Amino acid sequence: MILVVAILSGRFLAPYITRVFSRSPSRLDKVLNPIEKGIYRLISVDPARGMGWKEYFLAALVVNIFQMAIAFIIFAFQGVLPLNPQGFPGLSWDLAFMQVISFGTNTNLQHYNGEGNCIQLPNCAALTPGVPGLSYLSEMMAVQFLQFTSAATGICVAVAMIRGFVAHSKDLGNFYVDFTRSLTRILFPLCFVASLVFVGLGVPQTLTGYHIVSTVEGATTRATQTILVGPVASLVSIMQLGTNGGGYYGANSAYPFQNPNPASDIFQIFLMLLIPTTLCFVFGQLTGKKRETRPILWGAYSLFALDLLIAFTPNLPVVGPGMEVRFGGFFSVFWTVVTTAVTTGSVNASLSGLNPLVILSAFNGMLIQATPGGKGVGVMYMVMFIILTVFIVGLMSGRTPEYLGLKITARDVKLVMIAFLVHPVIVLVPTVLAYSTGAAGAIGVGTSSIGFTKIFYEFTSAAANNGSDFLGASANTPFFNISTALVMFLGRFAPIGLLLSLGGSMINRKRLTTEAGVRTDSPLFALILVGSILVLVLLTFFPFLALGPILEFFQGHVNGF
Amino acid sequence: MMNFKREFRQNYSPAMRLAVISLVLCGLVFPLVITGIAQVFLPSQANGSLVQLHGKNVGSSLIAQTFSLPIFFHPRNDSASGVDPDITVKDAYSQIPRISSATDISVDMLQQIVNQNEEGTFWIFGTPYVNVLRLNLVLIQTNNSAYGAFQ
Repeated sequence: MILVVAILSGRFLAPYITRVFSRSPSRLDKVLNPIEKGIYRLISVDPARGMGWKEYFLAALVVNIFQMAIAFIIFAFQGVLPLNPQGFPGLSWDLAFMQVISFGTNTNLQHYNGEGNCIQLPNCAALTPGVPGLSYLSEMMAVQFLQFTSAATGICVAVAMIRGFVAHSKDLGNFYVDFTRSLTRILFPLCFVASLVFVGLGVPQTLTGYHIVSTVEGATTRATQTILVGPVASLVSIMQLGTNGGGYYGANSAYPFQNPNPASDIFQIFLMLLIPTTLCFVFGQLTGKKRETRPILWGAYSLFALDLLIAFTPNLPVVGPGMEVRFGGFFSVFWTVVTTAVTTGSVNASLSGLNPLVILSAFNGMLIQATPGGKGVGVMYMVMFIILTVFIVGLMSGRTPEYLGLKITARDVKLVMIAFLVHPVIVLVPTVLAYSTGAAGAIGVGTSSIGFTKIFYEFTSAAANNGSDFLGASANTPFFNISTALVMFLGRFAPIGLLLSLGGSMINRKRLTTEAGVRTDSPLFALILVGSILVLVLLTFFPFLALGPILEFFQGHVNGF
Repeated sequence: MMNFKREFRQNYSPAMRLAVISLVLCGLVFPLVITGIAQVFLPSQANGSLVQLHGKNVGSSLIAQTFSLPIFFHPRNDSASGVDPDITVKDAYSQIPRISSATDISVDMLQQIVNQNEEGTFWIFGTPYVNVLRLNLVLIQTNNSAYGAFQ
């Protein structure tokens, strides 16, 4: 039901997003044109100038690095900056470094709790000094800031790559213009509405400090309770819509202030799915070949259905430890599948409370990254898989591999192969290193199937720019901070660079007029696509999955993480 | 390589300026505008859905607080957030005998209070639940002598 609504909304929203990036006239121009022109003037950029893939990638990378640098300063010096009513000290340099890369790469792995040590203390009376938490300024000008910009960047690079496939395109567009327009015309308006809906449903939005109240029993015992408020709603809207996933609180969307009721839960699931689904349609509309949306959408959603099937195999779950009563078992599991399928990484239940098969399904989502995947990059990965599949099918049937009438060259296949292989390397190497250097043991994680799952999940989540994890603040050690930061950075920018290069190389390529190649818009192709994705991804990772969640399932752990 | 150097020189200044502009828009203007609107139109929710007893804030309806006396309903403490404000109706029923014997309120009366405060189920999904703090405030307001210290 939610899926149908998400797909229909995506279909409905896609023409608008297509027009935003083809710069078609719109009713919003009256208000927004002057603002956007002002921005272009301030940064001295000529909006009409197009960029090749190298310049587009460079501009995206440099803007992102500057943004992360600003956020680093805010994290590190929050102790002396304003809007810090709880008096949190600045983050250590390695934690601040890891966190800016985490938010800047749309991953949102968090090695801290936003509310310091007040998490899981129902009557938290006072914060322990030295436990890292975030000031309101950091939540706004570091976390929310990077959540907006990384989401905008994701949309931009996907659109840029697609432009390469458009007939008669001369360049990939202008990054500065795309970035500005995706903020002013897509993310700000949608998040504005979503934020106010969240406030209406009970999510706080205030800059006053935590409330300390005398509890009901406090009338006799003098007990007090700290109510952890803050500018939460504006963050929750972009963290879900932007498939970021980094929550305000350590417990993420299990914390009632971040997700107060079933209605807010469903709305958050919808927001997560919205833009990744929309971009599947945008692909067909921008390239002018609407039928080519089909393999992307069908492929993505059939893999998604498969994930759901695996997750719900154990039986319809009931409320267990680690779940919230207001969501019940069904929505806890459903959420976990969605959050990994679109690589958001927010959670509404403790992962430790879920069946190993649910975790296996979560791994599938993060290893494939295109079901429908994160904002922007999901479509890019799907195109990568399509080209791989076209190539494989071409080899088998002896036809020239081609896609959208473009001949697929040896260089294209090399690019997508490298882009595909980045992922296993940056997941598997650090997982092994975490054990061989003793870093896993140092934070009390053992070598059993349970411990192994936790470490493997950490790096899978980092590489897929997902951000859900088992370890949380316990992984705030130099080894995990630096290793995950590197994995997140490579997992984000290496494939983006390679796939932009792919898109760039399509410009001016001769188009075949006869349809000699394999038709990519048929259900049969979608089926082969799904099959080859499963073979490619699962064979690469199977030994690791077998040692982790699969072994755990056969050992009979129900939710014993 | 020369090409790359030239492109970098061309781009770092606009990139830096765009970074600062986006900081102001995303990190300051947007959350402040939302805060302003929320505080004016939805002040109760925006400030944490605080609950009052005798005009004084005693907690938030969305956050569990510790109840340890036998005369009150108790929250669960094994949930993902640690502050789950709700318990299932079944859980509430199981606490009724204890409360009844500690307060002399009849089991029927307590069941009625639980039923009246039952909240959302979704079609076939989910389990009916009740908010612990709200239930306890209703108990206090029943004016039973057992709650004298809280009235």
